[in-house]
Amino acid sequence: MRRFTSVSAASPIDAAERLDVEGRRAAVIGGGSDLLGMIKDDLVTPRVLVNLRGISGLDDVRVVDGTGVVRIGGLVTLSALAAHPMITERYRAVAEAAGSAATPQIRNVGTLAGNLCQRPWCWYYRQRFPCFKHGGNRCFSRLGENQFNAIFGGGPSYIVHPSDTAPTLVALGAGFRIVGPSGGRTVPASEFFTPPRVDVSRENVLEANELLTEVELPPAPPGLRSTYAKVLDREAWTHAVVSVALALVTRDDVVQQAAVVLGGVAPIPWQLPAVGEMLVGRRVTQTLAAEAGRLAVADAQPLAKNGYKVTLTENLVRHTLLSLSD
Amino acid sequence: MSVYSVSRRAFLKRSLAVSAMAPLARAPSPAFAQGRSPIPRTEITLTVNGASHSVAVEDHWTLVEVLRDELGLTGTKIGCDRGECGACTVLLDGLPVYSCSQLALWADGRALSTVEGLAAGDTLDPLQQAFIDGDGPQCGFCTSGQLMAAKALVTANPTPSRDEVRHALTGNICRCSNYNRYVAAVMSRPTARATERDPMNTVGLAVPRVDAFERVTGRAQYTGDIHLPDMLYARVLRSPYPHARIRRIDTTVALALPGVTAIITRDNCDVIWSSGDRSHERYLFNNPVRFVGDAVAAVVAVDRHTAEAAIKAVVVEYEQLEFVLDAEAALARGAPSIHPDGNLAVRGDGARAPEVYERGNIDVGFAASDLIVEDTYVSKHHSNAQMEPRVTVARWVGTELTVWTPTQGIYNCRRDLANDLGLSPERVRVVCHYMGGGFGNKNQAQDSDLIAAVLARETRRPVKLEYTRKEDALGVHGRWPTTQHYRIGATRDGRLQAIELRGYSGMGPHRKSSGGIAGIELFRCANVRRHVYPVFTNMTVAANFRGPAYPQGVWGIESVMDTMAHELDIDPVAFHLQNVTREYNDETPYTSWALEECLTRGAARFEWARRWRRAGRDTGRVRRGVGMAVGMFAARLGRSSAVLRLQDGHLWLHIGVTDIGTATKTAMAQIAAEAMGVELADVTVVWGDTDRTPYSVGESGSRTTTHTGQAIIEAAEDLRRQIIRLDGLVGRRTLIAQATPEPTINGMARYASAAHFVEVEVDTDLGGIRVLHYVAMHESGRIINPLTAESQVKGGVTMGLGMALHEELVYDQATGVPVNPGYYGAKVMTHLDAPEIEVHFIEPEDIFGPYGAKNVGEPPIIPVVAAVGNAVFNATGRRIKELPMTRDRVLEALA
Repeated sequence: MRRFTSVSAASPIDAAERLDVEGRRAAVIGGGSDLLGMIKDDLVTPRVLVNLRGISGLDDVRVVDGTGVVRIGGLVTLSALAAHPMITERYRAVAEAAGSAATPQIRNVGTLAGNLCQRPWCWYYRQRFPCFKHGGNRCFSRLGENQFNAIFGGGPSYIVHPSDTAPTLVALGAGFRIVGPSGGRTVPASEFFTPPRVDVSRENVLEANELLTEVELPPAPPGLRSTYAKVLDREAWTHAVVSVALALVTRDDVVQQAAVVLGGVAPIPWQLPAVGEMLVGRRVTQTLAAEAGRLAVADAQPLAKNGYKVTLTENLVRHTLLSLSD
Repeated sequence: MSVYSVSRRAFLKRSLAVSAMAPLARAPSPAFAQGRSPIPRTEITLTVNGASHSVAVEDHWTLVEVLRDELGLTGTKIGCDRGECGACTVLLDGLPVYSCSQLALWADGRALSTVEGLAAGDTLDPLQQAFIDGDGPQCGFCTSGQLMAAKALVTANPTPSRDEVRHALTGNICRCSNYNRYVAAVMSRPTARATERDPMNTVGLAVPRVDAFERVTGRAQYTGDIHLPDMLYARVLRSPYPHARIRRIDTTVALALPGVTAIITRDNCDVIWSSGDRSHERYLFNNPVRFVGDAVAAVVAVDRHTAEAAIKAVVVEYEQLEFVLDAEAALARGAPSIHPDGNLAVRGDGARAPEVYERGNIDVGFAASDLIVEDTYVSKHHSNAQMEPRVTVARWVGTELTVWTPTQGIYNCRRDLANDLGLSPERVRVVCHYMGGGFGNKNQAQDSDLIAAVLARETRRPVKLEYTRKEDALGVHGRWPTTQHYRIGATRDGRLQAIELRGYSGMGPHRKSSGGIAGIELFRCANVRRHVYPVFTNMTVAANFRGPAYPQGVWGIESVMDTMAHELDIDPVAFHLQNVTREYNDETPYTSWALEECLTRGAARFEWARRWRRAGRDTGRVRRGVGMAVGMFAARLGRSSAVLRLQDGHLWLHIGVTDIGTATKTAMAQIAAEAMGVELADVTVVWGDTDRTPYSVGESGSRTTTHTGQAIIEAAEDLRRQIIRLDGLVGRRTLIAQATPEPTINGMARYASAAHFVEVEVDTDLGGIRVLHYVAMHESGRIINPLTAESQVKGGVTMGLGMALHEELVYDQATGVPVNPGYYGAKVMTHLDAPEIEVHFIEPEDIFGPYGAKNVGEPPIIPVVAAVGNAVFNATGRRIKELPMTRDRVLEALA
């Protein structure tokens, strides 16, 4: 592994200031599982690692006084998130996503912020092909081995966003707290992720001197049910071929609000607002679920080798909708 | 190893003055020697297993490096160094983490537990004892990690369910695939006996491995755990291109790095790697390079980080050449030429022609057939992916070379090293005591052994060469991909009339082993023609992987046979009973033969008659189906040696075996104890060292039990005669007996056989295949150790399921670069993927071999892919004709 210096940040602002000084030479590190591997493979070559682990107050889950908003620190591990009673009770999809990522060892150190900000797992990116993500001028998957690449929102890059937790947080209307050297801002989860058409070099809105510090979940309305389902090519430690996060608010079995967000199929968590709207005011039946599945893939644009992901998506949306309505 | 490095190379080329070829070796630079501009270190405190250690670490050192290299706690292993395998699992404040993916710095002040802390002295943790009793470790390389993950689980939950264990351990890959055993051990569940014959005194007893203690305590020393004083570290630079001529290699900058001591390339090293190719002179460093991963240069330096930095500083100017990946395409007119004399490998007899086997006349057979089935099956490159990546330590003392290496044959390795380095064999000592699996890719001498030896000679210091996981996946070898075109004919009542196969095996650019496509010999048929073309391609080299020619070949032939049975509306078991071989190639009698019994008893155990119905009858989203297939593997006899030493009332067994996880040492000790009529505890095995043990055939071809086992029996006969001559009054004498038999089987054929039965369900919406029930009925002669033999079968079947369902090394067709090397990308089986495998042994009498034993290492993987494919067909009425049977292929077949 290339040599680097590791410095500990005392606070989010401190970390941001260090990033500001070091520029692209620096990277923040929380759990480290993925970043260290990427450094070993020369996918990234930071000279300075800004270690966030020493920052206090970012490793717990709590209710913000008087608001019902649940605030999750960016350093909360996936294991802790998956087991947290408040999360499992109110926002089940988040717990399911966190508890199904990677392996126990990775979940024990991997943080929520790290899971949301992880770089692509596209084969070509990971094998250091000179693609857009490495500053090159093409996407090798487009005409290559694209069986796991994007069927929505692709172009010019066809990566898929690998995070399990991201679709659930988008579906639940979370806000992401970002800290930079001059202070903080909060962006909706749905606006955090950057499509390649906007900027192919990045996957989210974080500037080089910013970090994701907290996630805020709005109060869970009565009747909220949520779930996360994914399809894998082996049973553990691989990223979703297709996943779906589903959040429904129902009253007397009639859908009041619905959010359907896909993972593993697009460069960002892929929202399906039309599917959500179509569900509102109706009871979930076999017929409606099938209709939702069809609508979910209406805009899919598969590549040569990933047409099967369209079928998977349609069927997974249908099954997940039915499972949540049982 | 990527296309990406082109721009960096171009930059370096511009910014460097071209200089004459740099010297091969040089003294460490004065700047380095004086320690100028030292790398800053931070003093940290690690509490490991309750003891506090102060260590000065560099910021980028990983926790596992510090545990192993600084604290000498080598029980924790490095299998992938990327958080993909779990061999490095330790507990950090009680929670399992991958210590390869943590900086040592981050563990400052925290509590760590490693395998070394589980036992209190020699008093084992109950989990360790359960792992011994339940035969958890095969090769043992993943065992420490499995133990630590299990320890965290049972500390929190003393009585976990099976699924809880599988989930808790699923971050820990076991490539021996002993998942069933690990899960049962954590649950402290006893294991059922799979054999039928009563044990003899020792043979036939289900005893734990004689070295299980070492394997569960982290005390077993693997090659990577060896640290010699003054040792240097080496790294290899590999080709990023599938086919390229090297125009120039400039090592000036790399050699100038502080701490770099030597660099070898084709310009200054022309050592031939003779076991790297049977038909061409394959050098350690080849020009042109012919696959992504072909070695270009090796660097040796004071530590691994410096060596890594140095290979990145070597400048190589390539001229890219046209490449070809597919075997059939490589034979087409106008295909890129990989070797000057063509892309078809030369046959043993020197002819440039396919390997041909013929009997009868297929035209006559097809004319007599009522039905002809014609189909093509395509299998893929499949990585051995053993847990321990290649690593070699080499040391010269004067003109004597010692090589510590994970090899499947210390004597083969010594022969090859001596040959390639121009030494007489007695100057070479090869040592391999514990090794982390190989499944065929650690046969003979590997390039790592030669490179380490050359670098150690040049630098006059011991050298350790470590391969990364990716290098191991690309630079060693995996199973050869095949394209198999079949045509078979049968009469209406299901009698086979003709079998024809035209097959192509992609060997990569070197023919390291046969490239055969086996399986036709499982069937009785008067008219057979088999043409197999071993073809050079620009994929990574393909060679032996467990049951080398069989799993892919049996998948092909058993698929067309299953189609035939279906078309004729005959139950597949009945079709097999009618058509399976009774004499090898319909002419040579078997010494003992129980394939029929495997079929009937396996079918009964599986309740085939109840579960089977005609293919495609199931409807609905999730469809169930059953499939079966058979397999066999030669259990030949041959030359090997054993020495028995009776001294101070104790028996020492000297055998030149290594133990790649098959429990060889245990089985050999059982045979020695049986032959001498002593207790197993009275036998000590001396193994794995060419200076201390006699010749052994090598742990490949499933030969050790039959070859070396027979030598032990004959040495024991000699020893008993010596004792009798002394009227049993041995006194304080040391008696030594040896034998090197070369037994024959009088022109007969000797084979182990198996029939496998599997039930799957196929999710027609999501394309998933799930194994519900698996019965493996095996005949391997007498079973020496039912416990460890059953582990072999469980592991072999599970490994075969990975090949069937999701493992594949995928190549980018445009660039010829493999895109998914490693455990993550190649989707090697995990705990959660592994179903429970039910194993049974049939034990017929066989007058040959040690107590009638045959073999168990390779047979279990042979029928698996075929059985699964047939079950998928039975469930859905559709056949998947390209491996692996992933969701895309399932959905495509169903569309």
